[in-house]
Amino acid sequence: MLTIIIRSILIYFIVLLIYRLMGKRQLGQMQPFELVLTLIIADLATIPMAEVSVPVLHGIVPLLTLVVVHFILTLITKSSQMLSKVISGKPSIIINPKGIDYAVMKKLNLSTDDIFAALRECGYFNISQVQYAIMETNGKVSVMPKAEFAPTTNSDMQIKVDETFIPIVLISEGKIMKENASIAGLSEDEIKKIISQSGFNYSIKKILIMTVDQAGNGYIQLMENEGKTFQTKRLVSQ
Amino acid sequence: MKAFHIVNLLIIVLLLIGICVSEELVVSSSLSDIQDRCLYIEQIVEQDETLKTVDLVLAVDNLEDKWDKYESKLCFLVHHKNIQEIGLEIAKIKQYISNDDVGEFRVCVESIKMYCRGYLHFMGANLHNVL
Repeated sequence: MLTIIIRSILIYFIVLLIYRLMGKRQLGQMQPFELVLTLIIADLATIPMAEVSVPVLHGIVPLLTLVVVHFILTLITKSSQMLSKVISGKPSIIINPKGIDYAVMKKLNLSTDDIFAALRECGYFNISQVQYAIMETNGKVSVMPKAEFAPTTNSDMQIKVDETFIPIVLISEGKIMKENASIAGLSEDEIKKIISQSGFNYSIKKILIMTVDQAGNGYIQLMENEGKTFQTKRLVSQ
Repeated sequence: MKAFHIVNLLIIVLLLIGICVSEELVVSSSLSDIQDRCLYIEQIVEQDETLKTVDLVLAVDNLEDKWDKYESKLCFLVHHKNIQEIGLEIAKIKQYISNDDVGEFRVCVESIKMYCRGYLHFMGANLHNVL
């Protein structure tokens, strides 16, 4: 039994390493060849894990071979558009200004229910609001609404707004995020100073979350307490 | 593709080549040696009518020792079920020596040779095995 435990841990880390080598794209937006790879890896990894008489190498070698195949296919899809179309397919327009393209719908083996479900996922409950819908190669549907149903932007309204910044988490669950503090160009003492200057007399250990963006807009919340916003000096990011 | 990925790819390819080459070398040399030792044992048996000779006992002991060493290496590379029969047959031939059962002894030695030949054939990368 100990052998199985050790093998499971070993194979877990190998599979983890393999997914890391394949890149983050693998996790969210799988192309057909990536989906196939994921299914095979899951199956291959379990064989040497549970079967003690199978050498671990018999699991590792096919996994590594698949990584090589994946790299080669990725290289091919990036270097040749024609081969990319053969391996991953190409995006298909399923809805155009005339309505649903029935020929494409049949070619993709979709039903109207599938199309409506995909539109609802994108926030469109009425097909008349949609100008174009495109089935991407990873199976996701991208929707372009008709101009009259497109969300209004500040630009449309000619409203001048300040640029927004990503808030940097400086304190999380009572701990100073040193890497983030360094990005924000703040030391521990400066963070404490910001807290006291903003009118909060909090101990760092009791702070659930504290964020500050480049414009100096801050948010602070104590554990089991409601959050408060504050304004501090503009940050000079590193 | 980033240089980092290319380096990773090269390392993996080299690792795979290394595993394939070492498997080929270790498995073929080990099983060929076992086959040679079996042939030697068969020659001794043909010369003497009885199994209870010093030469034969020594040869079988050497075969057993060598197999124990090879088995520990082969277990990293070969499915254990594919080689466990060889170990079992070696254990049997020691029993047949103590019983002086020449007929069963010869069958056992032949079986060991057959298992070695079979695995060496099974291991090769040819169209027959791939398909």
